[in-house]
Amino acid sequence: MPDIIEGPPGREDRLPPWPRRLMWFVALALGGSAATAAVAYGLRALLKL
Amino acid sequence: MIDLDAMVLARLQFAFTIAFHIIFPSFSIGLASLLAVLEGLWLTTRREVFRNLYLFWVKIFALSFGMGVVSGVVMSYQLGTNWSIFASASAPVIGPLLAFEVLTAFFLEASFLGIMLFGWKKVGPGLHFTATVLVALGTLISAFWIISANSWMQAPAGFAIQPDGSLLATDWWAVVFNPTFPTRLAHMALAAFLTTALAVGGASAFVLLRDPHQPESRMALRMAIGMFAIVAPLQLVIGHASGEMVRVHQPLKLAAIEAYWKTRSDQAQSLVGLPDREAAKTHAEIAIPGVGNLIQGVPKTTVIQGLEDWPREDWPVVGLVYWSFRIMVGLGLAMIGLGVWGVIRCLRGGPEASRWFLRASVLMAPMGFVAVIAGWIVAEAGRQPWVITGVLRTRDAVSPVGAGQISASLLGFMIVYAIVFSGGALYILRLMARGPATEETAPTPEDRAPGTPMAAASGEPGDDGATPDAEARS
Repeated sequence: MPDIIEGPPGREDRLPPWPRRLMWFVALALGGSAATAAVAYGLRALLKL
Repeated sequence: MIDLDAMVLARLQFAFTIAFHIIFPSFSIGLASLLAVLEGLWLTTRREVFRNLYLFWVKIFALSFGMGVVSGVVMSYQLGTNWSIFASASAPVIGPLLAFEVLTAFFLEASFLGIMLFGWKKVGPGLHFTATVLVALGTLISAFWIISANSWMQAPAGFAIQPDGSLLATDWWAVVFNPTFPTRLAHMALAAFLTTALAVGGASAFVLLRDPHQPESRMALRMAIGMFAIVAPLQLVIGHASGEMVRVHQPLKLAAIEAYWKTRSDQAQSLVGLPDREAAKTHAEIAIPGVGNLIQGVPKTTVIQGLEDWPREDWPVVGLVYWSFRIMVGLGLAMIGLGVWGVIRCLRGGPEASRWFLRASVLMAPMGFVAVIAGWIVAEAGRQPWVITGVLRTRDAVSPVGAGQISASLLGFMIVYAIVFSGGALYILRLMARGPATEETAPTPEDRAPGTPMAAASGEPGDDGATPDAEARS
């Protein structure tokens, strides 16, 4: 079974450069918001039917 | 004999669903803050014990959070199906408060939960810690709005009644910061921290009974003791302040909590007894004369209203409110006792050295949840016969639906909840019983993340792999 919850980088891991990390941070946050909004508006549209 | 009409069934349904629901946010509010503290400690000290604890409890947080969200949706659903008159009349006031909760808290949590769970290697430690703190903040902001809405129903302020009977907010500051809100928010937030501390302490003690040297559980138990040793006495003070607000704004509720049947000065303080609503007296009562007023924070000469001042049909179910309050307070005192015992044990050889203390901690692990549910019974059953105190009666707030319809949906809820949420709760218990095993705590050499909750519960460490660090420690 693939792992789901991600742990911290190990000592042997190299972190991506900071612009890339920041981009991931913004992208994941916006993605989370967008997914929540999509579910909320989708449910509202469904209930109006 | 209780007549199971639509109103009683609608109340039963709400009570049933909220009793399940409150378990999860009570836990996730405290756990989110614990995770932020653990991650912060790991970042500043680099001690692996904090990272391992974070990785263990984040799985339980994710499960609690998910079940909290799902069980919470059912609550708002019921406002439309069973309490449509309440929803319609109070929407201009309650609606925005709940909308603010979604916009400011739920979206905050939803946005950063993804980073917290799936993004550590992508965003790095600093930004991941930011996400964890924002999720923790989101859980507290959520409590802020929900308690504001509920407190407004307890002691409404800043509104006007329209000619058509609906309510209109005239002063949003007064609506949000209604009189009982500050103390009730503090009381609930502390209750969540206390509940989490007891659960974390109990789970750690359970592991330590098996293996007294497990480093993560030793640390977690000490952190839990520190938390409930401080928070439990503080909760007593805040709870008392909240009770004073009840005396001022909800005297009928106070009369039910203390079984004050007569209006008089110098009330006695009832400790235990069997309140009899029909006979308007408390049987087999043990009471301390002359201290009731003192405990309520008023001089002996001040007259405190008894239930006789209200029509009998308006009385809450006195026995339920009376005993729920005593269960809550009794458990609170037990928590203070456990905190004192824990501090003494920490000063004398460590808490894991006493198996009796570990057993007591395990026994107390679920008591925070019991106290929270008992407290909410006091708050909600004690508010009766009003759904909005002094404004809208419960019997006038229920939807025009039949008892049969509500019975059917109640039965459906009971079956679904018994399967889904009981299953989820048992699964969390299984994870907690297993404890933070060393081998699941760190990324694999192949750069794999630690195990899923399923892998953790299955007890297959091979799925998770181990870092050289973890192997060295084990």
